Amino acid sequence: MTYFLRRAAQALVVVIGVMILTFILIHLVPGSAARAVLGVKATAGRIAIFNASYGLNRPLYVQFGEYVDQVLHGNLGVSYMTQQPVLTEIIQRLPGDVLLLGVSTVLALLIAIPMGIYQAVRRNRLSDHLLDGVSFTLYSMPDFFFAIMLIALFSVQLRILPPEAPPAQSLTGMLADPRALVLPILTLTLVSVAGFSRYMRAAAIDVLAQDYLRTARAKGASERLVLFRHVLRNSILPIVTLVGLSFPGIISGAVIAEEVFNFQGMGLLFFQAATEHDFPVLLGCTLIIGVATVVGNLAADFAYGILDPRIRHGDA
Amino acid sequence: MRTSRRLAIATAVAATAMGLAACSGIATSGAIGNGTTSTAHGGQKEQGGAATIAWPDGSAPNFIFPLPPATNSDGYNVNLTDLMWPYLVYDGDGAQSVVNPQESLFSSLAYSDGDKTVTIKLKPWKWSDGAPITSRDFTFVYNLLKANWSNWNAYVGLFPTDVASVQTPDSSTVVLHLTRSYNPDFFTDDVLSEIPLLPQHAWDKESAAGGVGNYDETASGAKAVYAFLQKQGGDLATFTTNPLWKVTDGPWQLSAFNSDGDYTYVPNKNYSGPDKPTLDSVANEIYTSDSAELDALRSGSALTVGTLPQNDLPQASVLKGDGYSIANQPIPGVSGIIPNLYNAKVGPVLRQLYVRQALEDLIDRTQIVSKIYDGYADPGNGPVPVAGFSEWTSPLEKSGGPYPYDPSKAISLLTAHGWKVVPNGTSTCQRPGAGAADCGAGITAGERLSFQLLYSSGSTTGDEEEASIQSSEAQAGVAVSLKAEPFNSLISTVGVCNSGSHPASTCGWQLVDFGYDPYDLYPAGDGIFNTDSNGNQGGYSSPEEDALINATEYGGSAQTFFAYEDYTAEQLPWLWVPQASNIQVYKSDLVGYAPLNPFTGGLNPEDWYYTK
Repeated sequence: MTYFLRRAAQALVVVIGVMILTFILIHLVPGSAARAVLGVKATAGRIAIFNASYGLNRPLYVQFGEYVDQVLHGNLGVSYMTQQPVLTEIIQRLPGDVLLLGVSTVLALLIAIPMGIYQAVRRNRLSDHLLDGVSFTLYSMPDFFFAIMLIALFSVQLRILPPEAPPAQSLTGMLADPRALVLPILTLTLVSVAGFSRYMRAAAIDVLAQDYLRTARAKGASERLVLFRHVLRNSILPIVTLVGLSFPGIISGAVIAEEVFNFQGMGLLFFQAATEHDFPVLLGCTLIIGVATVVGNLAADFAYGILDPRIRHGDA
Repeated sequence: MRTSRRLAIATAVAATAMGLAACSGIATSGAIGNGTTSTAHGGQKEQGGAATIAWPDGSAPNFIFPLPPATNSDGYNVNLTDLMWPYLVYDGDGAQSVVNPQESLFSSLAYSDGDKTVTIKLKPWKWSDGAPITSRDFTFVYNLLKANWSNWNAYVGLFPTDVASVQTPDSSTVVLHLTRSYNPDFFTDDVLSEIPLLPQHAWDKESAAGGVGNYDETASGAKAVYAFLQKQGGDLATFTTNPLWKVTDGPWQLSAFNSDGDYTYVPNKNYSGPDKPTLDSVANEIYTSDSAELDALRSGSALTVGTLPQNDLPQASVLKGDGYSIANQPIPGVSGIIPNLYNAKVGPVLRQLYVRQALEDLIDRTQIVSKIYDGYADPGNGPVPVAGFSEWTSPLEKSGGPYPYDPSKAISLLTAHGWKVVPNGTSTCQRPGAGAADCGAGITAGERLSFQLLYSSGSTTGDEEEASIQSSEAQAGVAVSLKAEPFNSLISTVGVCNSGSHPASTCGWQLVDFGYDPYDLYPAGDGIFNTDSNGNQGGYSSPEEDALINATEYGGSAQTFFAYEDYTAEQLPWLWVPQASNIQVYKSDLVGYAPLNPFTGGLNPEDWYYTK
């Protein structure tokens, strides 16, 4: 328990550090937020009103103090560009990304884990080499290119799937249009499979060489039992780490895929905020992604403890 | 009003799409119409139906009250509000750049008292709730703006501060007494065309729970009403439910809106205008990229109207085969590269007219139009586009402008002013000094003719245009380095620099190309080329220019306008470059889309219908 408390305290420090660093870095970016928002012909008067409205004419430490106070009260501020609460914008966009990226991550794991084990078992045989080829092709292919290829085939040529993600903002609205989910999820799944499967293959090869497997087989354990009870459980630990590291990616969206599939997600929100000097949105997104990173790592730590009793015992 | 902004990332995507199109050997020409002729064809007009319009990324509206605050982001809100609360003066009639008398809310406009008084007669039209549109609705707008002009997004130093008083002799007549005489063309086309009428009988409130009164008639009341309406106007969640926004006088009403910026109109059943909507609904959908929009068009989706980026012109013939028509629509605006005359390093060089002339002589606008834009661009001969403003285009501009492409002339100019010209290298000043044959005041010996050109990223044709300019400038040893940035990043770092203020933090830029600056119906230079104006980022200043601009606004005739136009074209406050057209795509069975009104972007869905 001490271990988990210590990790949680470290996580809190990391989040605060991310907040401070992001705030400083964002305000060091050259250029005026007022100009970015108000446009080329903004008058000095309008710029002054804008700066006063958002407190940008105050010293940086005062602005930071106010920001921290806001955050502690559950308020991430108001977007300069849309003039909507940042939290509202994030809440509106988050479910879609969680659906697309969450489902694609789960699907990628469901494909990659057995694929990695299969390749490890069939190491250096034709099937292993073939799957290696597929993996490397997927791994090296930019997701936007892959997405465009899928759209060109299934939407433009065959016209059997729409080229856009569902336009609805709610989860139920998106799920009501399952055909529109196919291409974005397929794209995100396939580009993730390669990475996961490579790790799984390497870990499984490592485990397959361990003495305890030979012992298990010598005791008469079936190959299926060996694979599921011993190989899978021991070789999945690196994947747990990868999944933990993927969690912030699920929250932060996939800017390229969102752009290609006409989906207003977290990735585009963050990207647009960066180009528009929309500081509150940038800070809000960074904070959420920072928290997701910490939570992902903590979750991976907990899962390690569950999967590997040696960690639990070490903690005790 | 409408500006186009694209994500930088779209470049990669669009480039790939273009590459794919190129690989498939698609022809460009022959598929694009001129957008000025009607698409009306045989068949019986069908009542009902739906249309979906694609909008570019970044064009999501976020404010519904038609008088947005000073802190509001951009001009895209007008795309949402214009069809519900149209302006008093309606710009554009078909493809013509004239006032549209049928669509305008006035029945007559008369100038008197040496053009210091304007008498406006309103048409006997009604609001959607059945109440008549009256002169009180005009005074409501006037009172709100008079008390709040400093917090009005669209205030440019004219209305309401140019109005000394307003009289309403009867319910359909408004008399404006102006602070000075104005050219009626300018005042009608550029000032009254920015003023909507708003329903005083429904909106003159200080709170949601309070009743309607005449609160706007006092300054404090007008401030309270304005503050209330502004607060309501930014609440996206209530755009379709707030009773305020259900009272409209335009042809459409809002039926759906989401925070991504997608929205849907349904007809205002009590619209009094001549062109009652035929369609049942018009949906507006924001696309995250050009390629996403093009994919939707190519996949046979329900998308009815969209825009084909110049990068994707090779797709025109394919889209035509898919049941779309494609039309070329000249944009009513001016394009140019702005020289920073107060940049600490190159300002003294750019202040020399002969240098700007040499730079302009080296821009091959004709080739840019033909090779990069496939002919779908205005040549950019001066401050007024030749296409779309025939009434206001001077003979000089029509004949190609004062600076046709002439590299040898550019070299002669530089040589005559003491520069050692090194073609495809970097020319240097050999004869510093302020004499007529010297490099010019502030230019030191050995100074290099070298500039950085910033421009908006996200368009392949934009990249090609700037690269073409870079290449042609090199012929006279003008070294131009290119730097593309996303539009918002660009405008955040480029400040207004002039003799009075040119801080290093915002005046480090040397040359910048923002895209284009849109015009209203009267293409005046006020706000762009006059001394210390908001749009005059480079600090160009000339008493003669100021006087000529004033002459176009305060008095004037076509000759007065041409005098301003030719002087501006010659003085080069901007380096003139071509202005690419919009290429519009629409379902071939959608009647009424063309002719395209350049001031509404062709978006007049009340004119659209399908045939049986």
